[in-house]
Formats: sequence, structure tokens, C-alpha cells
Amino acid sequence: MPARKKGNIDFTLLITVFILLAIGITMVFSASAASSYLKHNDSYKYLKSQGLYAIISIIAMLIMSRVNYRILGRYALFFVIVSFILLIAIFIPGLGYGAKGAMRWIRVGPLTMQPSEFAKTALIIFMARSLANKKDKVRQFVQGVVPYIILMAIYFLLIILQPNLSMAGSILIITFAMLFAAGARVWHLLVWGIPVIPALIYLVTKESYRLNRWLSFRDPWADPLNTGYQAIQSLLALGSGGLFGLGLGNSRQKFFYIPEAQNDFIFSIIGEELGFIGASTVLFLFLFLIWRGIRIALHAPDMFGCLLATGITCMIGIQVVINIAVVTVSMPTTGVTLPLISSGGTSLLFVMSNIGILLNISRNIKTEGS
Amino acid sequence: MAGVAKKIKRRVLFLLASFTLLFFLLTVRLFQIQIVNGAEYQQKAIEQWTRDVPIPSKRGIIYDRNGKELATNAPAYEIYVRPVEVTDKESVAQTLSEVLKMDKETLMNKVSANKDTVIIKKKVDSDTVKILREKNIKGLIFVDDSKRFYPQSNFASYVLGFTNYDNQGQDGVEATFEKYLNGFPGRDIKMTDAQGRELPESDRKYYEPQDGLNLILTIDEVIQHFAEKAVENALVENKAKRVTAIVMEPKTGDILAMAIKPDYDNNNPREVPEDLIDQWDSMSSTEQYNALFKIWRNPAISDTYEPGSTFKTITAAAGLEEGVVKPDDKFYCSGSVVVAGRRLKCWRSYNPHGSESFAEGVQNSCNPVFIEVAQRLGKEKFYKYIQAFGFGSPTNIKLLGEASGIVRNVNSIGPVELANISFGQGITVTPIQLITAVSAIVNDGYLMEPRIAKKLVDNEGNTVHEFQPRVVRQVISKETSATMRQILESVVTEGSGGGAYIPGYKVGGKTGTAQKAENGRYVPGKYVSSFVGFAPANDPKVVVLVVIDEPGGASYYGGVIATPVVKSIISDTLRYLDVKPQYTEEEAKKLAKEKVTVPEIRNMKLKDAIKLLEQNKLKYRLEEEQGEPEQDSLVLDQTPRANAKVNEGTVVIIYAKPKE
Repeated sequence: MPARKKGNIDFTLLITVFILLAIGITMVFSASAASSYLKHNDSYKYLKSQGLYAIISIIAMLIMSRVNYRILGRYALFFVIVSFILLIAIFIPGLGYGAKGAMRWIRVGPLTMQPSEFAKTALIIFMARSLANKKDKVRQFVQGVVPYIILMAIYFLLIILQPNLSMAGSILIITFAMLFAAGARVWHLLVWGIPVIPALIYLVTKESYRLNRWLSFRDPWADPLNTGYQAIQSLLALGSGGLFGLGLGNSRQKFFYIPEAQNDFIFSIIGEELGFIGASTVLFLFLFLIWRGIRIALHAPDMFGCLLATGITCMIGIQVVINIAVVTVSMPTTGVTLPLISSGGTSLLFVMSNIGILLNISRNIKTEGS
Repeated sequence: MAGVAKKIKRRVLFLLASFTLLFFLLTVRLFQIQIVNGAEYQQKAIEQWTRDVPIPSKRGIIYDRNGKELATNAPAYEIYVRPVEVTDKESVAQTLSEVLKMDKETLMNKVSANKDTVIIKKKVDSDTVKILREKNIKGLIFVDDSKRFYPQSNFASYVLGFTNYDNQGQDGVEATFEKYLNGFPGRDIKMTDAQGRELPESDRKYYEPQDGLNLILTIDEVIQHFAEKAVENALVENKAKRVTAIVMEPKTGDILAMAIKPDYDNNNPREVPEDLIDQWDSMSSTEQYNALFKIWRNPAISDTYEPGSTFKTITAAAGLEEGVVKPDDKFYCSGSVVVAGRRLKCWRSYNPHGSESFAEGVQNSCNPVFIEVAQRLGKEKFYKYIQAFGFGSPTNIKLLGEASGIVRNVNSIGPVELANISFGQGITVTPIQLITAVSAIVNDGYLMEPRIAKKLVDNEGNTVHEFQPRVVRQVISKETSATMRQILESVVTEGSGGGAYIPGYKVGGKTGTAQKAENGRYVPGKYVSSFVGFAPANDPKVVVLVVIDEPGGASYYGGVIATPVVKSIISDTLRYLDVKPQYTEEEAKKLAKEKVTVPEIRNMKLKDAIKLLEQNKLKYRLEEEQGEPEQDSLVLDQTPRANAKVNEGTVVIIYAKPKE
């Protein structure tokens, strides 16, 4: 059987994405209705905007699924340069825009966007392209690993200056994951951890109280009104959900106990309303999505496609893991949205565009004859 | 090209495996939170969502026995602030600090707190709230509340007591009848959002509060006024440390008045005492509280003192009841008596009473007579009466902090101690114990439990509970009681209690002057002067005890300084109670006689003073409890005082300086 020139996109992935998107819109509505009514006198405000973002994002995804991913590779350097410009532009007064002491957005007229979201995608495309070209040279420390670490470090610094520790952290993890996937020697990667070791020993032996303070996230009740507040509220939401949940729309924690429940802590509301069954289903859907992404990577027609799919999948997966870990008080609170579920335009647009790229790679998988 | 190298695929698969592991761990964690610990978190969540707001109940009103309000409720407000709504924190804090007289720093913290609502102040009166309302400050919330209000401020302070900021009784009847006065607060239970707004489907439960019961005291507001006035005057005139007066109705044990000066303002019990204002801020909070507790302590029931001669009433009653002595029995006072090798002197050893009847012995307050009576009784029998009259144990009056006094163990006392107790030394009592015992003596022997509260009524005026007068026991017979009344009346008509004589009323009583003991030693110059009186003597309506603690004026004799106070209270009270004066023939004659003015004899030599009195057609009697005067001794005090208008032939009691 001759290999088909053009395959179909991965419909299983597409459907999974749509299910998650639907859950997201429903939960954003449920979580925001009350506060939205009180603040804007309109229960549907977040539903409407999230619906609009979803439509725009679906269009973006469909467009990206039509653009041959190899074309993206050609512009990889261009994307990196643009992303640097955008990240620096945040610090230009009048352009940068932020809230709660963190400058994370650029505003041009009514439009806002988060340059770091673009930066992440730019980095993934660039690394995939570059590592694919490097082939076996990736196994050399200086040529294969150091340049990417330097590139990553520049991104890391620019983003941490905003400050946005969780985003910087994700970029670091993605970088290492892609280097690992591309075949870098494991110890070439582990070696970067060496400078951390003495610091760690120092902390444990000399200033263990600092470590304890960092570990204090495990006991949010030590400071229930300030640092522990969100963690406690998240636990109470999840806990009151039990096995089956209070039922869709019946969350009580969304009534200002969890501030901005439609954002980072939306998974708590899912747990409260839909119970362990609903929450673990959402977890499973994400794992399923990751599996589809990895599957696309494994069957990608070339090294670039493989690394690109791996990078995109890791990006989504890491964000999910961090978000759920925060919500379940398994790590200190940090602001990471839950992809496809949390409200927010830029994040959804970029996640969906990246999924569009994944779909395009899947379209290029050649079904080999047997 | 065959796609991707095997090695790369293995690496990618490793990444998938890692994710799978992480997701598995997160699912386990989720299971732990939602299923294993779910119930615990749910409980906490329910507590968080549930607002259980107590609805305060209206506190019962306290009335006197005739329905006059002694403690009531005034409208007041609790002021809260919502910090988010306060834009100009600085100026709001400034305004509040001026109007509420609070520290600006504290207020600044409150208006900028990171909380939904913060309490600013409780129990703010309506005038202050009006001022704040007119200023239209955004973010301030005024919540209705009530504040305990005592219409007459420093009035019956120790009986009434006061309440704390939560309207809970802290002292006096406010504390002892707390459970009736307080009522049952209602509750408003509902589910709310984080800002306290009620949630939809909140399952609201509302329980009406139940108002407290109104308390009717045995206190008579008018008699209390008489007592307060008399005590206040006595405090100033005698430069005393403290003056206590109790008025009791002997038949019921009802406390008609209990007045103590100095006292405190019930509306402001935590006011800094004047003498401590300067050092107040440098005192620790324990020291501050101890100072306040000292002020709140009710001396009428908490302070013990050596009763001195007033205790002779007990010795006399016991002796008569046991039949070891009769009113006409003859005694001989040689000025002193030797007990177990110790010479115990009569107070008038310089001029021994000589031969006298028992009744005269009481009139004269002659120590050897009482020593003799106590010896005839023996310590066991004497103790039986001391205990039966209630000494050494609380009277169970419904007020806080009653003391028992010290009655030494019967087995540990010898003849000297027994003799001392017979005239009121070596034993301590509380004022309430003494008046209760004396009431029993004049009330046919029935010892009543002192009653402070008459009944509890609801808002419609229905009686819910009546506190009945309670007979504790009968200590002496009716006959003995009658005899005691006669003898004690003669103390006023013939003896040391003359200062309490009121024409037209038969007044009985007994004086007492005792040196204060501190750390087991008598302190020179510190006395407790007292008088316990009752009237009318044939059918007592009131018993009045006045105790003057550490008088600092010219005189410290109970007969001089305490009798006029009792006299003033008794005469005011009997007229108020509409007890008609019944003049004896002699009194009627005296009334018809010409009035003479009592001359000033103080600081005169005794012999000159006597001459002057005789010139003024006045009789005299020499009284001295602390030592013997001579003809040249200076007159320290007199009763009645100079310039009093009295009948011819009235006895003027002279107190002279004892021989050095």
C-alpha cells in the first residue's frame, strides 16, 4: 500500500481538547457567576469572554493545523528575536502592563498579550529546529548543551525580572526536557545541578529554619490569613467535594473564599463541585492528551517534528502538573493557570495554537504500509 | 529517512512515563485530600461557611422593693469599620480618635487592617454615634447594642455591682443573679460568603432571644438614700478611711440598705482611682487589676474586724438563754479581774463600776461582768451560741466574696481567750454577720438568712420566682429576746448608747470601739468604731449597723461618732416607714419643758465642764472606754454636740482624755 501523501489529523487528540475546553468553559462560568454578578452586575461576563476566547483560539488552532510545521522551523530564529523584543518591551513604560506588582503583559490599545507565552513557543520551535540539525553533536557538552542553557538563561532572567517565577521555572524544565529528548548525555544535564548541591547542604545544616520556612507550605494553618490562605481554601474546597462532589454549580468556596476562582484555582472548584470522580477524570483527560502528544512525537516524520511535538506536549504537561500540585498543596503556591480550563485569553490562545501545531505534525505522519 | 531514531524514541517514552508517574502521584494526593481527609476538611469548610451570630437578649432591669429602677439598659452602639471602603485612612483615624477619644495609632491599624470588618469600639452612646453619623464617614458600620446604665451612678454600688463589655454581670447582684438577668441570647445561623453575605439556599435558622428576668431587690431606694447620705457625712466629719452602714429588717432578714463610702461609679467601674492617676500607666496590668479589685471589694461582707463591745450582745444573750445570769443578778466591778493569772482590766478601771446589776453591767459595757458570764457558760456552751448566731461561717447573702471571719477553734482557747471573746476581742466578724446576729437577738431569737433579692418578674410583671425569707434557726427563746430588747433599750436610755436616743421612739443598741489589729498586734491610733441599733425596741422594724473604719477626727468612740449616724438613719427610716412616735409621759413632759442649748465643753477641764453643764440645767455622764480621766483631764468630746437644742435635764455624755 502506497504511503498516503497527507494523513488525517489526530481526531482523538482533537476530541480530548474539545472535551477539556468544554469543561473549562462550564467551570469558568460556574466559578465566576456569583462574583461576576456582584462586580459587574452580569453573571455571564466571564462566560461570554471565555466563549469568545475559545472561538478565537479554535480558529487559531485550525489555522496552525493547516500551516506546515516545517515552515515554522524556518522562522525559528525570527521568533526568538521577536520574543526577546516583546519581553524587553514590557519594561518600556506605557507598553508594559501588569497587576499586583508583576509586569507580565504588553498592552496595545485594547489588546493585551503575555510575551512569555509567545517566548515559550518560540523557544520550543527554535530548540526543536536547532537540536534536529545538531544531530549527534548534541552529545558534546560545549556545542550541544551549553548554547541552549545560555539561551534559556536569558529567557529565564528576562521573565524572572517581571517577576514570574513559575513561568521562568517552566521554561527551565522544558529546556532540559527537550535536551534530554534530543539525546544529550544525562550527566551533561545533571551537571547543572551541581552548583545547587552545596547551597542545599548549607541550607539543611546551617540554616534549616529557612528550609523549614520554605517547607511551611505543607502546614498552611500556620498562617491561615496570609500565606496559607489560598492553600487552606483550596483544601477545604477539594475536601468538601468528597467522592461525588456538591454538584455542578453548587460550590460554596467560589463565593469569595477562593478569590478569582475562575483563574489558577479553578481545579479546586472542579473538585468541590464534581468530587474526586470529576477531578480525577480531568486529570486522566490531561494524561490522555499528553499520551496523544507523545504518540505524535514518536511517529513524527522527522526529528524536528518529534522534538517540536515533545516540547509542546511537555509544556502543557508541566503546566498541568504544577497547577494541580499547587491546588493540592503539594508545592508552594505559585501562579500557574490550568491549560484549556482556567479563564484567560493569551494562555488559551497559545495553548490552542500549540495544539494546532501538534495536529499539523500528526497530519504529516506517514502511515507506513505493512 | 525512517522518522526518528530508536534512542530518541526511548527518551520520549521516558518522558511519557515520567508524566504518568507524576499524574499517578497527583491522583493519590487528590484521593488523600478528597476521600481520606475529606470529612475533616468538609467540617472545617462548613464551619467557615456558617455564621452563627448571637442575638443579644435584653438584660433584666433591677428594681428596688418599690419598683424604682436601680439598673437599666440604655441604647448603645458597636462601631465597626470595613477597611476596604475607607479611602483616606489617615483622616478617618484622626476623626475617630478625636470623637471616640482613642489612640490614633490603634485606630490607624484598625482602618487599614487586611480584614473584612474590624471592631472599633463597643458600648458607644447615642450622642457620640450621632456625631459620627453626621460626619458621613464611608466604611463605618453602627450596630445596635445596649449598655447597662445605673441612673444614680454612685448608689448602692456594692449591692448592684456592674457588667462587663459583653453585658455579663461582674460583681454585686449583677453577678450573683447573672443567669436570671441575662436571659438567653438568640442565634442567627446562616451560610455566608467570605464577606458575610448570605448565600443562596443557606438554610437559615433564626432563634429569638429570650429576655432576661427583672430583679426586685429588698433594698428600699429611699432608705438607701438615707444611709448613703448619713455614711457620706460620717466619712467626711470623722476623716475616716471608710464608713459602712447596713439596714436590715429583722423579721425577714431583708437588706433595706447597704451603703459604703467611699464607693465607685457603677457606670464607670474601671475608672482609674484618683490617687493612682499619676502612676497608672507605669503599673502592670496585674497591679492595675488588683487596685480595681480593692475598690470593688464589698467591705460589708468581705472585710472582717474585731467587733469589740458590740459583741457583748451575743455574750449577754447566750448567758440569759442558758439561765446562767438574770437581769437583776448582782455583779461587782473592782476595775479588773484576774483570769488564769492575767489581770484583765475593765475599761473604767480608774473608777470601777462597783456594785451593779447585770442589766446595768450591759449599760456600762462593763468587761468583768461579761467575763463572768462567759466563765459561767463555759467555752463549749458559749461557742455553741457563737456558732449558732452564725459567726465563723458565711451568712449566704447573695453577693460575691463573703468572708467567714475568724473564730478560733474551741479546743485551742484557754480562759484568757474565752474572757477576751466575751467582750469582742480575739474574734473577727463581718458587718453582715454582726447585724444578722443582732437581728436574731431582737427578732424572737430567729436567725434569718440575709435576703437581698425579693423576686424575679417577667416583662409583663408576672412573678416568676419569689425568694422567700429563710429562717436559719432559732438561737434564743422569745422571752430571752424580749429581755435583750429591754436591756439594749436601756443602753440607749441610760448607758453608753445615749447618742442614738430619739424622742418618741424606743431605740435599743450597743456601741463598740475596738483597736485595729494588724499582723497580730494592736495598732495604736487605729480604731474601728461601731454601733448597732434597732427600733422600735418593743417591736423592731429596722436594725442598723454603722462601722466607721479608722476615724481620723477628734474622736474615735463608737458612742460619739457611730451613734449619731445610726440615729440619723433610724429616725429618717422610721418616719419614712410611717412609724408614729410614741412619747412616754416623761418625754411628753420633757417636750413641754423649755429647750436649752448645749454648751461647748470640749477642750475644757473635766471639772469645769461639769460645772458648766450644771449651770445649763443639763445632766452629764462620764463615758470612757480606753482609760481613766482625772478631774483635770481635758474633755475630748461630747454628745450631743455644742449648740444642739435639747430639753432641760438631758444627759450630756462626756468623753475625757485618759490619764497618761
